[in-house]
Amino acid sequence: MARARLRALAFVTVLAMVLPLIAACGQAGPTPTPVIVKETVPVTVKETVVVQVTPTPGPKRGGTLIVGLMSPVLSLDPADYRDRQTETVIRNMFDGLVTRTKDNQVVLEMAKSATLIDPQTWEFKLKEGMTFHNGDPVTAEDVKFTFDRIITEKAIEYPEPHTAARKGLIAPLESVEIVDPLTVRFHLKAPWPVFMQMLCHQQIIPKKYFESVGGTKGFIEHPVGAGPFKFVEGKLDDQIVLERYDNYYGGADDLPPVGPAFADRVIFKIIPERSSRVAALQAGEVNIIQGVPSYIVPQLLSDPRLQVKTCAGTRPHFMEMNVKMKPFDDVRVRQAINYGVNVDLILAKILSGYGVRLPGILSPFNNFADPDIKPYPFNVEKAKALLKEAGYENGFSFVIDVSADAKELAEAIAGELRTNLGLDVSVRVWDWAVLRPKLLAGERQATVGSWGDSAFDPVGYLEAKVHTYVEGSTYGRGNYSQYSNPRVDELVKAGEIETDVAKRHEIYNEIQRIVWEEAPMLFLFVPQEIEAAAANVQNWGPSPDGRINLHDVWLSQ
Amino acid sequence: MRGVKILERLLYTIPIMFGVAVLVFLFMRMTPGDPVDIMMGEAGTVAPGEMEQLRKEFHLDEPLHVQLYLFLADAVRGDLGYSYAYKKPVTELIAEQLPATIELALGALLFGLIVAVPIGIWSAVKQYSVVDRLSMAGAFLGVSMPAFWLGILLILIFSVKLRWLPVTGRIDYTAGLQVVTGFYVLDSILTGNTTALVSSLKHLVLPSVALGAGTAAMVARVLRSSMVESLRQDYVILARAKGVRETWVVLKHALRNALIPTVTVVGIQVGVLLGGNMIVEQVFSWPGLGRLAVRAIFSRDFPLVQGVVMVYALTFVLANLLVDILYTYINPKITL
Repeated sequence: MARARLRALAFVTVLAMVLPLIAACGQAGPTPTPVIVKETVPVTVKETVVVQVTPTPGPKRGGTLIVGLMSPVLSLDPADYRDRQTETVIRNMFDGLVTRTKDNQVVLEMAKSATLIDPQTWEFKLKEGMTFHNGDPVTAEDVKFTFDRIITEKAIEYPEPHTAARKGLIAPLESVEIVDPLTVRFHLKAPWPVFMQMLCHQQIIPKKYFESVGGTKGFIEHPVGAGPFKFVEGKLDDQIVLERYDNYYGGADDLPPVGPAFADRVIFKIIPERSSRVAALQAGEVNIIQGVPSYIVPQLLSDPRLQVKTCAGTRPHFMEMNVKMKPFDDVRVRQAINYGVNVDLILAKILSGYGVRLPGILSPFNNFADPDIKPYPFNVEKAKALLKEAGYENGFSFVIDVSADAKELAEAIAGELRTNLGLDVSVRVWDWAVLRPKLLAGERQATVGSWGDSAFDPVGYLEAKVHTYVEGSTYGRGNYSQYSNPRVDELVKAGEIETDVAKRHEIYNEIQRIVWEEAPMLFLFVPQEIEAAAANVQNWGPSPDGRINLHDVWLSQ
Repeated sequence: MRGVKILERLLYTIPIMFGVAVLVFLFMRMTPGDPVDIMMGEAGTVAPGEMEQLRKEFHLDEPLHVQLYLFLADAVRGDLGYSYAYKKPVTELIAEQLPATIELALGALLFGLIVAVPIGIWSAVKQYSVVDRLSMAGAFLGVSMPAFWLGILLILIFSVKLRWLPVTGRIDYTAGLQVVTGFYVLDSILTGNTTALVSSLKHLVLPSVALGAGTAAMVARVLRSSMVESLRQDYVILARAKGVRETWVVLKHALRNALIPTVTVVGIQVGVLLGGNMIVEQVFSWPGLGRLAVRAIFSRDFPLVQGVVMVYALTFVLANLLVDILYTYINPKITL
């Protein structure tokens, strides 16, 4: 009897211990996506402020800004990295000749003027009186040295001689010539319409300092630039600490306020786990976080100490269908898929509405998006009719092969196709490194994914997505639908060298019409970038290319 | 004699490490996925010829046996190559991250032992009591609870709700720690910086609990069953019959004999704590080796994966050796 009572007592105690744990867990794990159908964001709106925090009277100096980044910073060498996170940190320490505004316009930063002398030569005049963090003046020598180091083969000597990772971003640059101490000329191998856009991604380093510390190894241990913040200390996988550079020349004239930064200190913390990133913000440990999942936004908005902001994203999402395989070799089937999926519903459920429909191959934010291209309307009858016409009135089965991060989206599409069109669709998850070669080889039926369009220009993007796949080249390197149309190939190549804007519009409009009609993919949406910050962070906002510019940000308390 | 044996065992690790190096080299290259393609294949702008050039720089265009030769030839000189992603020597990256991982593992081990040893002994002595049943139920929970879940739970309670302990990192920058060894707790003591000591200990608590919970549970269960076993032995009855005090009987006669299986488990746990902390490091943004390993594997950063796996292998080998040495002290009848 006593033993039975004991057993019951033990059971109840254990239950009492476990239940709160289970209850609390509900808050931590991915809660079921809230079903909030938001109004469709008009395409012209580039930035939507979700929460308006009452702004304090004026900018305030002082304080430490702590930013939670999604992934490690790979390098502190402006010439030798290729990822966005690294760029975010580097561009708070280093400035370039030009930069970009939040709505994607190229403006002058360290340059006072930029002139296109002939189709292959740009001349830049530098602002006077700019200095690097060690006090050395910025001269044409530094600009030439920076770009020589990037474009010369094997110019980076540490840890083993290799070519700068950023060379590929400015490959058509042939040489840089010094005209006078504050004037440089960039000579291109061929006319290159996106030169100014791409130049935003290159930052200037000091020649004299670089040589005095014995080259790359010494330089990355203590980098020196001409940006708003100077390097103090840091470890790439942990945190990077910067302090305000008081003699900063001020930055781009078109991006006010011009002058030294407001915050005394900036710390970038690497917090890869997203629930920890959100928790760190809630706990007041960081001031700004990036990569906020949309399902958590309502929870953050309910906290008066926090604010959430969004902006146009740069990653069009689609489901690519292998046009060389049955049943997707029939254009009617591909169009039927586009008619048969309620993309607005998926956008509302998976992204809680934080995204914009993708009408065709180009993001509506792309500078060359054709406004006449409208998304396929949701029309199940039409989809069924097309399937019948193609001889699939009884449906068919297929597999969507995806990497783990696209699983949820793929499941949603599969669910739509099952319910609306009666197709037998299943989803299989792979390690991306294993799946990608199979997709390029045309061995799979369909995949769901996205492709970056951060230059907002079709060059590079269309070449990867809709040009015929040419092994060993950059053409079709992301063409998972095996799409191949000689006319499109021809137009993609023509667009790469055409400098006349009107003609480029013509070229890209034609590509967009053809691809929309032939529908090698189910066009989905462009998710917005969502970032969150403490309520006292002022004049802050995410930018479409994911960069966090802290020069203009201040803390109100 | 013991010294010679230990030296002999240490020498054995050389062929073991060689085998590990060759195996990890081959396995990484047998895994589908091309590092250059992962790095550049989805980049926004890729210049023609850029990917070939990268393959050449990484020696990926050479035949496999040539690559293996290059790797081994460098490795015997202590050069494990450089990371494709970080463009830094692998040894330097590992040296930067290793102290964080060791510190966390020691924290977790300490937590595990502090919890497990009293519970294990108490449960055995008071077998089938309420305390015994509760602690064994707790141990069951500890073994089955995934560390990432416990970690997030701890963060929600102690960081977000109570704001007692920090969520991420190893120390507050404002503590102004002068790094000497890379072990922040030790460095704080060495430099006499109390602020840094408090800060680094505060940062260490939650990850240590999350990581050490499994160890605590495992050790408590093993210790309890071996204690139950040894408390039934004749020498314990004899000791009691002689009138030896009960505490003395438990601690001196029973515990010492129950330690052999426990030390074995603790030894294995040391390896597990050092090599199985990827998830806890991820949840607590702890800048250790585990996080580096995960990233390296997904990006097929071959040299970095090779380096990290070799460190893990070495850890297991050394932990086992340490356990064997400990045996000889606990039970003088055992020799190496």
